[in-house]
Amino acid sequence: MTISSTAAAVDQSTSPSLRSRFAKNFARFLSSPLNCFSLGLTTLLFLLALLAPVIAPYPYEQINPANSLSPPTWEHIMGTDQVGRDIFSRVLYGARISLSMAVMTIFVGLASGVFVGAVSGYLGGVADEVIMRVVEIFMSIPGIILALALVAVLGPSPLFIVLALSIRRITQFARVTRGAVLGVKALDYVAACRVIGMSNVRILFFHVLPNCIGPIIVLATVLMGNVILLESTLSFLGLGIQEPTPSWGTMIAAGNELLTFAPWLSLFPGGFLFLTMLAFNLLGDGVRDHLDPRGASVI
Amino acid sequence: MFFKFVIRRVLFSIPTIVGIVTVAFLLGKLIPGDPAVAALGLDLDGASTVSQEELERVRTELGLDRPVIVQYMSWFGDALQGDLGRSSVNRESVTALILRAFPNTMFLLLTTISTAALIGISLGVFSALHRGKSADLVARLVTIIGVSTPPFWLALVLILVFAFNLNLFPMNGSVAEHGWIALVLPTASIALQPAALIARMSRSSMLEVLSQDMIRTATAKGLSRWRIILRHGLPNALSPVITVIGFQFANLMGGAVAIEVLFGMPGLGSLLINAIFENDLKVIQGVVVIVGITFAVTNLAVDLLYSVIDPRIKL
Repeated sequence: MTISSTAAAVDQSTSPSLRSRFAKNFARFLSSPLNCFSLGLTTLLFLLALLAPVIAPYPYEQINPANSLSPPTWEHIMGTDQVGRDIFSRVLYGARISLSMAVMTIFVGLASGVFVGAVSGYLGGVADEVIMRVVEIFMSIPGIILALALVAVLGPSPLFIVLALSIRRITQFARVTRGAVLGVKALDYVAACRVIGMSNVRILFFHVLPNCIGPIIVLATVLMGNVILLESTLSFLGLGIQEPTPSWGTMIAAGNELLTFAPWLSLFPGGFLFLTMLAFNLLGDGVRDHLDPRGASVI
Repeated sequence: MFFKFVIRRVLFSIPTIVGIVTVAFLLGKLIPGDPAVAALGLDLDGASTVSQEELERVRTELGLDRPVIVQYMSWFGDALQGDLGRSSVNRESVTALILRAFPNTMFLLLTTISTAALIGISLGVFSALHRGKSADLVARLVTIIGVSTPPFWLALVLILVFAFNLNLFPMNGSVAEHGWIALVLPTASIALQPAALIARMSRSSMLEVLSQDMIRTATAKGLSRWRIILRHGLPNALSPVITVIGFQFANLMGGAVAIEVLFGMPGLGSLLINAIFENDLKVIQGVVVIVGITFAVTNLAVDLLYSVIDPRIKL
């Protein structure tokens, strides 16, 4: 009686109060000025990326050889590059690339990693052992080297870049999810679910996973800055998104050749990259402190 | 006892190393199109420029006419004996190429991680001792800025300011050409991020230790502040810090790639990037293997070190 009523209570308790709980939680998150700042900054960056076609004063591919390598002026607030393209417009479009690639990478990593980790942790035994061994192998190859090797082999198309960047994310999400599932799986209410005859699939995906969401959200936020840096490093090395599509890494690399003559070429895209990483790292820290105050740094 | 632990831990890393060698093999199988064409250093469009006989010869030479499992066994056997194949660009042995580049990278990484550990631990302890005061805030601000600065961009800024404008350091990182001073800018560019992460971990670990009873006891006993910090606080706070240092060292192998290319240093990173642009598959595979194994060995070393310095860890 008590067991089945616990299980029934679990089955219902999640839905009605969820929204108000979220609102309360969110309000508490925003009570810290630093969190407001980082959330504001990331929102602003997303808006800039989204509205790039509206805000950008020039089309990003519009060349103007007559005005090449112009230092920052009122017409071109961040100057122009070798063929006279407006740096500011290209930086804005670069934000689109950086943010969309990062979001896609995190999405692929999260979806696959959470699935793998949840199944691994819930099943336990040999399956768990094998999956975790494979995860460990991929953890042993530094992210950028694995990504470089994969892009080198598959070719630098956006799809393959996202794929190459997500492989290591999958292992990271799998680890964190597995750990959380192991903890939750041992709780009484899961036993109660089993007693009333729920299927394993239902228990895992409807009752165990929702309670593991904290560390997963933390990891997703913390990894954003990381992935943005990786993507820019790939393009900096010439293996990311290819010209003429603007990406911060490529722009910084192009500026490198003219560093001493026209420093604005690499300083502005780099500055934006720094600002973006700062915003996401601050946000990630805030989210971690909020959801998992005792958690150590996951990077 | 310790010996047994070492043996067990070493055996434990074997499956990982086998896995890394396998991943490197699979990498070669992922190449779209004809691997023989790729091995000749040609892209897909170049395929028509070579004769059929030439392709056959390459296939036989690389063993591509044999079943995949045989190819795998032979790649694995060769790798065990330290033979990672030959570069398709200049026919040089991949192992020789790697052995030449490896010390350069290791040297850069060791300089970097020692610098980062020194700065990171000092900053973290300083921050913990001034918890909540403005000094702590400044230290934490430095930390978050450090984590968020893209190393290759920092390198450009440092080159612009210190090499070009102030002319204090050389623009390229060749030790052979300029001596040790050439390492300053590359080291500074990649040390900032790990230093920041080490500082953060040192701070939180130190704060935790400082709140323990034994510190209060030590204070009550009238020990000097510095003795408490250096003799009782720091050693107890060090274990998690060492994990972070080990992890950052492994991560640096990735971070060093862009820096080596930028400063023209002949390490593994430059080797990898050149190989990628020359379609030199064997070298790419070789670098993946060597970096993965170095990573596994670093983890091993950290685990062993951990058990040596922290008596609480049961062997």
